[in-house]
Amino acid sequence: MNLRLPGFSARTIAIGYAVVSLLVLAMFAGPLWFAWHKNIGEVRTQLLKSDARHLSNLFERQGPPALAAAIDSQVHGVNDGVRKIMLLVAPDGAKLAGNLPEWPEGVPERDGLCQVTIRVDDKPRNVELVRVTLEDGYMLLVASNLDRFQQLERLFAYGLLGCALAVLVGAALGGVLIRRALLGRVQRISQTTASIIEGKLSHRLVEPCDGDELQQLTRTVNRMLDQIEHLVTGVQDVSNAIAHDLRTPLSELRARLEELSVARPAGEETFAEIDAAIDDVDRVMGIFNALLRLAEIDSGSRRGGFVEVDLAALGAEVTEFYGPVAELKDIDLGFDAPEDLRVVGDPVLLAQALGNMADNALKFAPVRGTIAITARRLDADTVAVVVADNGPGIPEHERTRVIERFYRVDASRGTPGVGLGLSVVSAVARLHGGALTLEDNHPGLRATLRLQANPAAQAR
Amino acid sequence: MKLLLVEDNERVARFVRKGLTEAGHTVDHADNGRDGMYHAVSEPYDAIVMDRMLPGGIDGLGIVEALRQQGNRVPILILSALDGVDDRIRGLRAGGDDYLTKPFAFGELLARLDALLRRSQSQAVETVMTLGDLSVDMLSHRVTRAGKPVALQPREFKLLTYLLRHANQVVTRTMLLESVWDYHFDPQTNVIDVHISKLRQKIDAGFATPLLRTVRNAGYMLTDQP
Repeated sequence: MNLRLPGFSARTIAIGYAVVSLLVLAMFAGPLWFAWHKNIGEVRTQLLKSDARHLSNLFERQGPPALAAAIDSQVHGVNDGVRKIMLLVAPDGAKLAGNLPEWPEGVPERDGLCQVTIRVDDKPRNVELVRVTLEDGYMLLVASNLDRFQQLERLFAYGLLGCALAVLVGAALGGVLIRRALLGRVQRISQTTASIIEGKLSHRLVEPCDGDELQQLTRTVNRMLDQIEHLVTGVQDVSNAIAHDLRTPLSELRARLEELSVARPAGEETFAEIDAAIDDVDRVMGIFNALLRLAEIDSGSRRGGFVEVDLAALGAEVTEFYGPVAELKDIDLGFDAPEDLRVVGDPVLLAQALGNMADNALKFAPVRGTIAITARRLDADTVAVVVADNGPGIPEHERTRVIERFYRVDASRGTPGVGLGLSVVSAVARLHGGALTLEDNHPGLRATLRLQANPAAQAR
Repeated sequence: MKLLLVEDNERVARFVRKGLTEAGHTVDHADNGRDGMYHAVSEPYDAIVMDRMLPGGIDGLGIVEALRQQGNRVPILILSALDGVDDRIRGLRAGGDDYLTKPFAFGELLARLDALLRRSQSQAVETVMTLGDLSVDMLSHRVTRAGKPVALQPREFKLLTYLLRHANQVVTRTMLLESVWDYHFDPQTNVIDVHISKLRQKIDAGFATPLLRTVRNAGYMLTDQP
C-alpha cells in the first residue's frame, strides 16, 4: 500500500501541530477527569454514609438530645449551605437540630442514598442525600452540596478549553512564522531560478549556512546548475567553433571541387585533387568524431562502463605506444609510477585521455627534448597523472582556454590536430570526478590529470 | 564470395555494391529490414553487411539477433551512423562480428570484411605461420626471415602476427589500433605509421622483396606477392 503524506507546507505543519497538541491535551485531561470525578464522588458518598452511620449510632446510644447537640456543633455557623447539610426532626416533623429550617420537599420516602434537588437558603441546590429513619420515628438527613463540585468541574472544563484555544493560537502563530521563514528562503530560491530560466546561467542560489536540508538541497541544485552552465556554454563554444574550424576545411573542399569541375584538368592531376578532397573530408570527419566523443563523455552516460583500472599499467602502455614517435624526434619519453595505482573508471576513455596528453606533449616538445609522465597517488581518493614537457609551454592567460573546445594557441594552428585533445582530457577528468590543470614547467607545460580513485563513491 | 548487403540508403548501397563487386564478390542487396531478413534466412551467404537503422519493420540489430537465435553463424559486419561506444557494444552484443561507423572509407569496409571472411574460414590455431621466407613461431615467439632471427619487442610481435593472420589483405590503421592496442580513439599523430616503419625496418631491411607494404588511402598489407 502506498502511504501518501500531505505536501510539506506551513499550513500542513500548523494544522498538524494543533491536532497533535489537542490530542495530547485530551490524552492528559481525559484520564485525569475520569479519575477525579470517580474518586471525589466515591469519597463524598462514603463520607456521607459514614456520617449518617455515626449519627445513627450516637442516637441509639445516647438518645435524641445528644444527637441534636452533635449535629448543632457540626453545622454551627454554616453559611450558604455549601458545606454539610444536616437535619434531625422529631416524629411529629418538628426540627430538633440542623441547618435546614424544615424537612425539605422532594426527599424520597424510603431510607438510603439519593441525589435530589432541595431548597437550601431559598435556593434550589443539587445535593446528594442520605435519609435515615431512626427509632421512634425520628428522622435524620445528611446531605452534601453537589453544586460546589460542579463549579469546580466547570472550572476544570474552562481551563481545558482555554488550553485548547492557546494551542490553536500557538499553532496558527507558529504556522505563520514557519511559513514566513520557509517561504522567504523558498522565494529566494525561486527568484534565482527564475532569473536563471531567463538566461542568466551564471546565477547561483545563496547557500544558507545552517547546514540543514535546505543547504544540502541548495548545494545539489548549484552543482546541477554548474553542470548545465558547462553544457550550455559548451554547446555555444561548439557552435562558434564549428563556424570557424569546420567551415575552413569545408570551404577548402568546396573550392577544390569547384575548381576541378571548372578547370577539368588532366587525369593524373584530377586524381591528386580527389585524394586531397578525401583528406579534407577525413579532417571534417575527425572533428565530428571528436565532437561526438566529447558530447558522449560529457553526458556522463559512460559511467556505466566503469571498472577497476590500473593506471600505472595504462600509463606504461601509452608511453610504450608513443615511444617510437618520441624516438623519431629524439625525445626522452619517460614513465614513472609506483607498482599499483588502481582507480575505478572507463579504461577506453582513460587510455584516450593519457594518449591525448602524451600526443599533445609530443607535438610541442622540441627535438632532443624531454617528456616525463608520472602517475602518483595524492591521497586516499585522488590519483594524478602528470605529463611534463620542456616545449614552449602555454602563456598563463591561455591555459584555461586551451581546454575549451577547438581553442588552439595561435602558434599551433599549423600543427596537425583539431584542437579537441585537451577538451577530451578535461571531459574524461570531469567524468571521473577530477580535473585537468595546466601549469608552467619552467620551461614547458605541466599537465596534471587528477582523478577520483572511486568516483562512484564520491558522487554518493 | 557471396555477400548480402542490407542498406536503405541508395547511394551508399550503390557505392558499396560496386566496390564489393569490383573486389570479386557477388552481392545481393536488400533495401529494407523485411527483405533483408528474408534473404538472410533463405540463402546461404559468406558474410552480411548490415545497416542498423532500416525501414520495413525490423532494424538491423533485430535481424542480427533473430539470425543468431536461429543458430546462424554467418559473419556480420554492422554498418551504422550510431557511433557511440555504447552503440558499438550493443551492436556486438546482439551478435555482430564487427562494427563500422558511417561515414566510412570503402577501404576500411573491404579490409574489415576480408578479415571477417578469413576468420570464418580458418578457425584452426596455427603454431607456426609463414609468409614467403618469413616464419613466426607462435609458441616460442621466434621470428625468422630467410633463416635469420629477427628480434621483436612484444608489441611488435603482436603487430606482426596480426598482419600475418590477415596476410594479403589490407589492414587499416583503425583495425590495428583496435586489435593490437585495444585503443578506441584516433591518435592525432601518425603513431601507427611509426610503429609500422619500425617493424618494416626489422623484417624488410636488407631483403630484396619487401613484405610490408603501404596501401595508399587505406592502410597496410603484408604480402609476398609482387
